[in-house]
Amino acid sequence: MDEHLNDTMTRIRRVFVESLHLNIRDDQVPYEQMLEDVAILDSIALLEFVTAVEKEFGIRMDPALLDFDFLRDLPALALYIEHRIEATGAGA
Amino acid sequence: MRTVLSVPAAAEPLLTIDDLLWFLYLYPLRILSAIAPRRFLYPFCKLSWFRARKRRDVAARRMLKARRPGMSDDQIRHIAERFLANSAVRMLDDLVLSWPSYARRLRCREIEGLDHLERARSGGKGVILLTVHFCAIRIAKQYLASRGFPILTVRDEIAEGDWWGRLGRRLLAPRRIEFLQAIMGESVNVQDRGCVLKIVGRLRAEGLVNIHFDGLAGAKTTPWTFLGARRNFSTGIFDIVRLSGCAVVPMLCLGRSSDFRIVFGPMLEIVQPPGRDEFIGANLPAFVETMEQQILKHPEEWEQWMSI
Repeated sequence: MDEHLNDTMTRIRRVFVESLHLNIRDDQVPYEQMLEDVAILDSIALLEFVTAVEKEFGIRMDPALLDFDFLRDLPALALYIEHRIEATGAGA
Repeated sequence: MRTVLSVPAAAEPLLTIDDLLWFLYLYPLRILSAIAPRRFLYPFCKLSWFRARKRRDVAARRMLKARRPGMSDDQIRHIAERFLANSAVRMLDDLVLSWPSYARRLRCREIEGLDHLERARSGGKGVILLTVHFCAIRIAKQYLASRGFPILTVRDEIAEGDWWGRLGRRLLAPRRIEFLQAIMGESVNVQDRGCVLKIVGRLRAEGLVNIHFDGLAGAKTTPWTFLGARRNFSTGIFDIVRLSGCAVVPMLCLGRSSDFRIVFGPMLEIVQPPGRDEFIGANLPAFVETMEQQILKHPEEWEQWMSI
């Protein structure tokens, strides 16, 4: 996996922890597990996460991709964000 | 209370009156509804009334508590009778919706306030159609969908129900859930983990989402006085409005499948203070007042008198 994609995934994990004010280090728990737990407790938090990701990367996600299973797939999400940045010229 | 026809050794009866009523409704009555006129079917739906006297009395007591000034006890009793009659009408309308040809059988007298809806849509951030549980809401939404206004409905998960006997639970309960899911059109359960994302996805695609403001489900709630009693309101709708920037338009649906009206009200003015709690506090009163006015003006149409 290329280094750039790894950086993007790290940033997504950090945004997740920060935007939801989770009191854990972002490498302590797998991202997928954190997302599952948050979704069960409060589905609004997922929306706050999406909003924070969009702000962090300067993109707007396609409405069709606002889907739990897609958000849960970290590599796919990171790849999508990179493509969006490229397509829109948004700054990282 | 359950009426037991046959009690085997097990704790749950083999068959209950509700099993029989649901069987009649889901099979012979549904088939008849494709060909028979409404006036022929209506008495069958009234069969459920023999168990409904208590419901009517409870509804009347709650209406008394919430009534508009100047409304007499006699008027309240009359409204409670009509409330009961409307539950039979809704059952009939559900049968109509269960047929693929339903769109041809719906008769909408008028759609009022379409300009309000168009103005809200022109904002480009989607529209929440704010409603309460009125009898005609399903037929109105299906009608609008058939006319090019598809609506995503947010609803509570359909419960299996605790009235079944063993036979009913095994044979009829799954069929009842299938039936209800089919007549509700496109919907998302509030219990689904991706529910909010699906709602916002629809709003961002400039679509329409229907939320029943008097729904009881929600992970986070806030109490407010509603129709003279304290009621917990889900705060999810306010989070969605705050984070998506969508418009909110009250929708009122009155009547029955053979003659109904749809009324869109002016967009609710959304106050935008900083902070989540402040946003809820600033907007909740207007939402409550708008919905209370609908109910007090048409109390016989509201299905939730039993749950306040």
